[in-house]
Amino acid sequence: MSFSLEIKAKWRVNMLAGFLALCLIIIVVRLFQVQVIRGQEYEAKADAQQSRKFQIPASRGEIFVNQGDDLYPVALNQKLKLLFVDPKFVVDPAKSAKRLAVVTGLNEDRLKTQLTYKTSRYIELKPRVSSEEAAKIRELRIPGLVLKDQDYRFYPEANLFSHILGYVNSDGEGQYGIEQYMNNDLGGRDGLLKAATDSLGVPIVSNENTIVEPKNGASYVLTIDRSIQAVAAKALASAVQENKADSGSIIVMDPNTGAVKALVNYPDYDPNNYGSVKADQYGVFRNRAITDLFEPGSGFKVITMAAGIDTGKVKPETTYTDTGNVEASGKTIYNDAKKTFGVQTMSDVIQKSLNTGVVFVLKQLGTNPNKITKAGKEVFAGYIKKFGFGTTTGIELAGEANAKVKEPSTYDIDYANMTFGQGIAVTSIQMMQAVAAIANGGRLYQPYIIGGTVGKDGQVIPTKPKLVNDRVISSQTAAQVASMMTKVVLYGTAYATKMPGYNIAGKTGTAEIPKPDGTGYYQDRTIGSFIGFAPVEDPKFIMLVRMDNPKVGGDAEKTAVPAFATVAKALFRYYQIPPKQ
Amino acid sequence: MSTAAVAMRRNQNFTRNRTQLTSGPLTITLMLMSLMILLALLYLSQVTKTSTFNYRISTLSQSRDDLQAKKEKLQIDAARLQSLSAVKESDSAKKLVAVDRVTYADTVK
Repeated sequence: MSFSLEIKAKWRVNMLAGFLALCLIIIVVRLFQVQVIRGQEYEAKADAQQSRKFQIPASRGEIFVNQGDDLYPVALNQKLKLLFVDPKFVVDPAKSAKRLAVVTGLNEDRLKTQLTYKTSRYIELKPRVSSEEAAKIRELRIPGLVLKDQDYRFYPEANLFSHILGYVNSDGEGQYGIEQYMNNDLGGRDGLLKAATDSLGVPIVSNENTIVEPKNGASYVLTIDRSIQAVAAKALASAVQENKADSGSIIVMDPNTGAVKALVNYPDYDPNNYGSVKADQYGVFRNRAITDLFEPGSGFKVITMAAGIDTGKVKPETTYTDTGNVEASGKTIYNDAKKTFGVQTMSDVIQKSLNTGVVFVLKQLGTNPNKITKAGKEVFAGYIKKFGFGTTTGIELAGEANAKVKEPSTYDIDYANMTFGQGIAVTSIQMMQAVAAIANGGRLYQPYIIGGTVGKDGQVIPTKPKLVNDRVISSQTAAQVASMMTKVVLYGTAYATKMPGYNIAGKTGTAEIPKPDGTGYYQDRTIGSFIGFAPVEDPKFIMLVRMDNPKVGGDAEKTAVPAFATVAKALFRYYQIPPKQ
Repeated sequence: MSTAAVAMRRNQNFTRNRTQLTSGPLTITLMLMSLMILLALLYLSQVTKTSTFNYRISTLSQSRDDLQAKKEKLQIDAARLQSLSAVKESDSAKKLVAVDRVTYADTVK
């Protein structure tokens, strides 16, 4: 009996030991599964619960202009609040809207509608809320209202720099102008903090925290002179309004470096309040001086003449007989004045803006001086390219368009038209670059608007002017063409800009606007432009004024030249250029 | 043998045995508890210290952010006041008279 009990007891002990061993095995297996097989997964989960990643936003770079020895900011950052509502939590929309309207100045009825709109969990009520206003809103204690920190861009000069700067949208992306062109550099790179957090998710100090410091955006100094910009903007606004033009633009540049001193378009907009621009007016955002191609008209004659003189085929005193018209590809080209001038010199061609004269130059460029030849077209095309019309200028502004230049294989009539700026499409900035080469003695500089980068120590690292071609034409050719352009101001179509004691060179251009469908030109629409530089003997500035579709009638001498004269007069004083005796 | 000597012999267990300090279970328990309390206090003081540093860092960060915000606001105010439209509307600018004639000094000899 006792033997049987002993066996039973032993069996029970074995069973218990076996059971415990099984439990141990299960635990070990489970531990292996948790710690080895799914170890990384659980580690990540634990990590996610105990630590968080925080983005450290980089500061967007600022944009300055020179102001004496100091810098003046034209685009800087501002930390404000964005007010939005989660209507689900709003208890009494009518009462809340009434109280909120008093503090924010928002429309009460609109607010009531927004606070009642329960199907949405996020409705923006007001951007750019100041800290003082935010404090008042908080005091209202309206449930559902949220004030979120938001970085905004502030443009102290508002409309004055609108087309140069562009703006930054609500996603922090630069739109138009330098803000878009330099978006990556201005935006910098956000940093990252991976930190252990407390139960509320607030980061706590720990040796295991890791941080990647943000890289703030680069800050730039523009070549723009604020005073010249203001003078140009005022003159342009007056000119566009007086001429009832659709739009207009003025560019002022240093012809010896390519540094842009002023660039304005009208109409303009306030980049602080870009959202107020209506959908049918979005064209106002475009920097038309950079983005819009136009046929330069007679302003292009100086390029044709420069090609003729530089090749030695014509001289300023070379004569031809103007019969009032000229044939090309079976079509007749007339002078704008619809008159016959008889024997004329090349200087007369520029001064009187004779279409027949520049077609004569094109003929001389080829192998047979009595007709337009392929060789002549090729030489002309080569000069057009050398003057920079083959590519974009590379100015640091978004949306620059490239010129449309026909190949020499095209019809003779196309090249004949191109000699006086029809059938060729260029931008205002390309015309500036090209004519600046005539002003400075034959060197082609790339126009630029970023004059320097602000270093970490606050010192400005200046941008070096970029010489694209050190000899587009010879200095003698440049001087001769400049002299011919001077006569346009002294005796020709730009007489209105003549100023005693100052030698100004210039050329007007009144071009028809082609129809978009390619079926010819509008009979009642033109673009008037005037490009000129001064003083001719040592040019300090080159300027282009362009009027799009003026409705008061008249050529560029009546629409664009007066604005040029106004700005030029101010520039002579600003640069302290004394008149010659 | 004198009486005294006999008596001494009788009580000749003169060797001194050193008293061995022995600790019972109670003593060990108490000592362990004291040690644990000490460690707990040490831990608590360190945790409190960390929290204090956290708080100080948080306060300083807040202070830095406030100062940064104030600096930005002042920069914006300065830029706004120096904008051409503001300058044009200023009292001193309104007193300025437009230049109608400029005379240049002849510096050429």
